[in-house]
Amino acid sequence: MAESLAWTLPRAWQAVQSSRVAASPVTAADQALDSLDEAGLVAACVDNRPGAFDLIVERHRRAIYQLCYRFVGNHEDASDLSQDVFLRAYRGLARFRGGSSLATWLYRIGVNVCLNRVSVKRPDTEPVDERQHVDTRIESPSEQMLKRERAARVRSAIAELPPKQRATLVLRIYHELPHQEIAEILESSVGAVKANFFHALSSLRKRLGDEMP
Amino acid sequence: MRHLTPDELIDLAEGAAPDAVAPHLQACETCRRSLADLQAARRAAADVEVPEPSPLFWDHFSARVGEAVAAERDAAAGAGSWSWARLLTPLSALAVAALVLAIGLAWRSNRPPPAVPTSPAVAANVPVTEPDTLLRDDPSLDLVADLSRDLDYDTAHDAGFVPHGSGIDAVVLALSDAERVELRRLLTQEMARPGA
Repeated sequence: MAESLAWTLPRAWQAVQSSRVAASPVTAADQALDSLDEAGLVAACVDNRPGAFDLIVERHRRAIYQLCYRFVGNHEDASDLSQDVFLRAYRGLARFRGGSSLATWLYRIGVNVCLNRVSVKRPDTEPVDERQHVDTRIESPSEQMLKRERAARVRSAIAELPPKQRATLVLRIYHELPHQEIAEILESSVGAVKANFFHALSSLRKRLGDEMP
Repeated sequence: MRHLTPDELIDLAEGAAPDAVAPHLQACETCRRSLADLQAARRAAADVEVPEPSPLFWDHFSARVGEAVAAERDAAAGAGSWSWARLLTPLSALAVAALVLAIGLAWRSNRPPPAVPTSPAVAANVPVTEPDTLLRDDPSLDLVADLSRDLDYDTAHDAGFVPHGSGIDAVVLALSDAERVELRRLLTQEMARPGA
């Protein structure tokens, strides 16, 4: 809505926007936060500057949610675990030294939270018919159903992998992290990461058998 | 013949293998099959997407995190003030206890010495101990005396060392005139008993 208004009435909209910025110190502060680099944003959080941590959550929530979902296979648990990840991040932010990117640091917390979770509870993947909001507009109903069933089997196969192999596979395939970064997150070596990845893919191949594309 | 290592196969599957492995791969059916399996598994995994949550979810999620963080911050602030309370409460209690003991000991030291038994046999078995000797013999009382030395009435009163309305005073005040006369008689009789 705001974008369409801006396109239709660019000058009037810009005038409204600039007057809002000038009149509201909160908005100005938010914009200043938005312009901070990662280190500055972390420092603002440590200083308890309002809105700073909200911005970190906003920037990383989707990636963290997807990481958690890959581990636990259902929305409810993924949502709870993601919240736990950010709460732990908030508690530990003062100790973040910037040796890695904030995303890598959050991934490390996320992997630890997920590994702790899956060590006490087997992933409870959602039934096929409960998966919604996947963009399937160009597929026929039968194709959609086949794709969902196949995806459910792959998820189930991934869920049965040993935790470290699963973490390696998730970080490598879905988050496309380099082996070196995965090694840092898992506090391991590049060689061990490649070995885990190899065994994860081999196990997946055996579990899926002829169902693979 | 040495087959390709897992490390080399992973590099091949990701298109990052050195050219040196190419001749072996062309000659080795086993390694080609392993590589094909890895690539197929990788494709199968990559095809699985995370279902996108409802568009309303993200704002709700951020709000939940914000509430949890605010609660964490409040709890931390509360813990800071409680630390003072944790420090002051035992100190106050210790001061009050010291005052009670000091008053008790001072009252006891001002009392006249107990009557010495007239029987020589009994007198020989019962040691006569002066109150000051009792104080000196118990080193733990030195601490109490030191702590209570500078404690005045106002501090003790502020610390809560005051008689409460529900105590013995209130009971006595509630007695009728006849009951008070009877109470005085009983107390006088009790105090007149030998050894009281």
